[in-house]
Order: sequence, then C-alpha cells, then structure tokens
Amino acid sequence: MLKAVYEWIDGRLDITPMWRDVADHEVPEHVNPAHHFSAFVYCFGGLTFFITVIQILSGMFLTMYYVPDIANAYASVDYLQHKVAFGVIVRGMHHWGASLVIVLMFLHTLRVFFTGSYKNPREMNWVIGMLTFGVMLGLGFTGYLLPWDNKAYFATKVGIEIAASVPFIGETIQNFLQGGDIVGAETIARFFALHVFFLPGVLLALLAAHFILIRKQGISGPL
Amino acid sequence: MATPTGNAQTVVYVGDSRVARPTKVHVPRDYMAYPGKSETFIPNFLLKEWMVGSVVLVGFLVLVVMHPAPLGYPADPTNSAFIPMPDWYFLFLYQLLKYPYLSEQFVVLGTVLIPGLAFTALTLIPFLDRTPERRFTKRPVPTMMMLLSLAAIVYLTWVSWDHYQHELKAKNIIPEHIAREQEMHAKKQAGGGTGGDQPEPAPVKVAAIVDADDAAYKEVYMKATCVQCHGAQLKGNGPIPGLLGIGDKYNAEQIMDIIRNGIGGMGAQYDANISMGLTDQNLEDLAAWLAKQKATP
Amino acid sequence: MAREHEEQPMHPHAPRRQMTRRQFLSYTLGAAGAFMAGGVIIPMIRFAIDPLLKPKAVVPFVKVAELSQISSQPVSYSFQTLQIDGWIEKNVEQTAWIAKSSAGELFALSPVCKHLGCTIDWNSNPQHPNEFFCPCHAARYTPEGKNLAIAPAPLDEYEVKIENGFVYLGGIRPNTIAT
Repeated sequence: MLKAVYEWIDGRLDITPMWRDVADHEVPEHVNPAHHFSAFVYCFGGLTFFITVIQILSGMFLTMYYVPDIANAYASVDYLQHKVAFGVIVRGMHHWGASLVIVLMFLHTLRVFFTGSYKNPREMNWVIGMLTFGVMLGLGFTGYLLPWDNKAYFATKVGIEIAASVPFIGETIQNFLQGGDIVGAETIARFFALHVFFLPGVLLALLAAHFILIRKQGISGPL
Repeated sequence: MATPTGNAQTVVYVGDSRVARPTKVHVPRDYMAYPGKSETFIPNFLLKEWMVGSVVLVGFLVLVVMHPAPLGYPADPTNSAFIPMPDWYFLFLYQLLKYPYLSEQFVVLGTVLIPGLAFTALTLIPFLDRTPERRFTKRPVPTMMMLLSLAAIVYLTWVSWDHYQHELKAKNIIPEHIAREQEMHAKKQAGGGTGGDQPEPAPVKVAAIVDADDAAYKEVYMKATCVQCHGAQLKGNGPIPGLLGIGDKYNAEQIMDIIRNGIGGMGAQYDANISMGLTDQNLEDLAAWLAKQKATP
Repeated sequence: MAREHEEQPMHPHAPRRQMTRRQFLSYTLGAAGAFMAGGVIIPMIRFAIDPLLKPKAVVPFVKVAELSQISSQPVSYSFQTLQIDGWIEKNVEQTAWIAKSSAGELFALSPVCKHLGCTIDWNSNPQHPNEFFCPCHAARYTPEGKNLAIAPAPLDEYEVKIENGFVYLGGIRPNTIAT
C-alpha cells in the first residue's frame, strides 16, 4: 500500500533521485568516528543541528503558554514552569539548549578552522556559517528578555546601551530595538517577533544553504 | 504512466510534464577518490552519528532534569541592588568594556571596533588566508591569532565571572533565581508539602448583597453619599473598596463611627448626608444594614 | 535498494532467510531515531496536553440570595465568582434565574441558551408570557427550563445549597428539574 502510494507520487514527481542522493552518498573514513576516535570532532556540526531542532520544537511548545507582554510575560513563564506538567523540562530544554547550541557551534567553528576546511572551494559555506553564528547570538540576546525578570530586563538594557554606542547610527539602532524611549511593552513585543519569526526564518534559510553547499561540495578531505 | 517506454538513451517524459520517467538506478557521486573505507550515509554512517546524538541527548536531559531553568523576580527598573549580568557567552565582551582604554571616551573601541574587527576578520578568513595549506601547524599566523583570541576569550570570561562571584559575596547577595527557588520551597513546606501541580481549591473571596430589598439599601443607601463612590452594587471603584462583606470587618457601631469620622482616604460623611435630608435614624438603619453584609453566614 | 543484490547472504543455500547487514543497520537506525525523537517530543506533548489532564477545579458555593425572597416567579440574581484562568485570577459576574418549582423545590437556572449560547430573558416576549425567551433565535423554555422550541436541551442549572436561610450556588450541571 505504502509502496503503491510512493510509486504513484514518484511516477509524477521523480522524487527518488533527490533522497537517494542524500541516502547513498559515500561518507569517507576520516570523518567516521567508528574508524578513528578523533573523528568525533566532525560530529559537532550535526549535533548543533540536533540541538537547533530541539530549540525550534521546545520554542514552539513554549509559545502555547507564553504571552509577550510586560503585564503577563513573567506570570505566564512562572505558570508554565511551576504549574504545568513538564513545564520545567520544556523550558529547561530551551534554556540549556540555547547555551549548548552556542558551545557546539563554537566547537564546530574551531574544527572547521583548525582543519582548514574553509579554504577553496568552501569559502562561501564558511561565510554562511559565520552568519548563522551571528543569527544564533541574536536569538540568544532576544530570547533573554522574554521571561521579563530582573536579569532579563537589565541584561537587555545593557545590551541596547552597547548598541547605542555605535557612532552615527547608534541611536537609530537603539530606537529600533526598543521600539520607544524605554525598554518596555514595545521592546518585549518586537523582541518576541524577532525571536520567533524573523531570526528563525533567516536561520532556516542559512541552514538550508549550508547543507546544500555541503552536499554539493562534499566534506573536505583528510589532512 | 501512459507513454510507452522508449529507448534508454532518450529522455521520456511523464504525460506532458517535464518530469522525466526514471529510467536507471541512481548512482550518486561518492568519495571513492579518498583512501580508506567509505560508507553509505544511510544507514551505515548516520547510525554512528545518531549513536553519538543519543548519548548527547541523554546527557542533555540529565542536565535539564537536574537544573531547572532560572527565573528571578519580575523586572523592576528601580531595583538598584541587582547586579546585571548578560548570558555567559557575552561575558567576555562585557568584561572588555571595563578596561580604561575601552571605556569612557574610548567606549566605541570596546563596543564596536574590537568585536567588529574580530568578527569581520573571522568571517573573511577564507579570503585572508589564501594558501592551499590546510594543516594548522603549517599556517602559523592564523593559528596563533586564533589561539590568542581563544585565550583572551577564556580569560575575560573567567575574570568577569570571578568578579561577579566576589561582588555577590561582598554585598551578601543571593542571586534572585536561587532566592526565589528557596522562597518557593519554604512556602511549599509550610503549606503541608503538597506537590506544585495540584490545583488548589479556589478561595471564596466574594459575596453578594444581603437583604437587597431592605429600605436601608433601596432608599437610604441609594440616596446617601456612599453610593457615589462605593457604587450601587457595593462593588467599589478602583482604589475605593467595595462594601460587600463589610459586615465581616465591622459591626453597626463601627460603621456608624466611620460615617461620622471617616477612615483612610474617606472623609466624614455625616453632615453631608444630614444636609441631603437623611435623618439620624436613616443612617442608623443604613449602618445596621451594612453590618449585615457578611460574606460568610 | 540499488545494492540489494550485493547484500544477499553469503551462502545462497542457507536453509532460512537471514537478516542482511543492511536491514539490521536500518532497524537499529530506526530505533536510535525513535529514541531521539521520543526523548525530545514526549515531554513536550505532555506539556501541551496538560490542560486536558488537569482535574476539574471544585467550584465553591457562593451566597446569592435570601431564601425568603424566592417565589415561583423566576427572578434574576447576579453574583460574583472567582475565576482562575491560568495565571490570571479574577472575579467574574454571573447571573442565575432562581425560582421554586410547582413541587416547592428551589432551583437556579443558567441564563445561557442551550441553542447557541445567547443570554435568555424571562417574560420578554409578549407572545409567549411566562416563558424564558432567547432573543437570538426565539428559543423558548418553561419556568423550569424545559426546552419548548429551537433549543435541543433544557437550560443548565446551578448546584444549590441552602444554609441559614440563604441560597448558595455552586457549579453548573445539566438540568434535573424539568421533565
């Protein structure tokens, strides 16, 4: 039955080559941890993606309870963490996952740096990776404000002050981030929008480009 | 499916679309060029990756279960006892701004120039380090710069965190998320040790008007000055408290005393009511009726 | 599938079909994938469906009216209950139509029409005196709340408790008075 459905679709869309290309491509020995223990360093990229998937899922579930509003944000986070079953786990995943993504991405970046994998022909993929790093830091910064506790509030205030010190356009950046004169209702609304719509959208596009280029160019050879 | 299978050399389209009928088994490009044993991605290699992934997931879940995500007290812009700290991965940038040549009139150096240059240089490194050599031992300049940056990041992060810990100790501050957790724990134990996710029975906080047909309500109360602030339904208005359940707090004499002398923000009402044509007896009745407003029988 | 012919068992004359190495790896891969997906998703599912699994809150009784005031003619009484809506707790105003049945039993009806949830009123339509009438689709009910037209079920009633000459109302349940 499933096979018949698959063949019906395949006869019209010719989807087999797409996934066979991914499924059947040969992975060389030097990145395989089963052959060389040192090949574990090649796992960091995949693990970053795994934690990113956890971040996206846990974030989607958290928005079922969270309200991005100065009157309700703190109360809703408090409620979902302490009153909803497994709330402490789901929020914990999102909180610790955010740190773990940064750690793993940093290790992945170091691996690529020290194996010289950014060199010709993979320059573009390195730049895409660095942009992904920037987006991840942006996600960390915007997500930090959302629980609206003292730590969130003051860290955001300091962060925005730093952005405001940029010559010429600093004040414009500050006003854009705050959405007004103070860190308040408008700030949390736009940080929420950036955190759940804009930055993840950019992130997904960058990740897709990253993976397509890897598949196109292959993993860099052994040293 | 309608078109007959043609010569293997020509491309046969499905119907009138541009999708080619699959004619041969797909042969992907592979890494046969590399020495050693290569493996197919699915299932051989991915299985190894997912083994590593499973171990990481178990470790991650243990961390999540052991350490709940911190949550302090609600944001209060006037709080001056709070030591602001960014997320740990921004600490080194935060620490950078405390050094004299990167602060005050030079703050732009610390906030924009140094981090900006470092990030831009790292992003553009494929175009700066153009030798074909990949081994890091054979390209000392980029390697040394990276190692120095790493050392600086580790050092700055450590100094920042160390300073924070010292400050906490010196000012005798317990970080909010810990203080809050302790407070919650203490409350839970005082409350008989019930679990956090049990719904507590809703407490009764509200009452209805008792004896709503009494003349003291329909005629005296509606006419008296009381109704202007406390409302026709005795519900109060914003900061002005309602009178529902007032009988639990005061008896008739005390209420009469409040009418005569006022209480809190409420001034004396006696003269105003007498001048509106109410009698002493009316007010006594009203006080007696208000004293009957009890939330609990 | 492309390499299936290469992965046949080494001995073609083996008495029973053995699992190929590729199949074994595929099953193990599926198990590892299920473990990772389950470990991540199951806590989240439980988190999302928590409202379905929470026990219903017990509605406390609220003092609404004096027993001596109640007659066979339904009268609307309003009262306040504390509503707990997630992290928001607030007092909400409710109304009940309280009367005595022909058997002398006191009952309190919810004003929510069982047709589509509009608010009914007593005796508001001159063509149908002494009936509850819903302005939205002209649903009608007897004083006991029995549905006469349009509505599919009788009006819900409040749980009633009488203490010290006062009427207390509790949670809402399906009508038990109307026959």
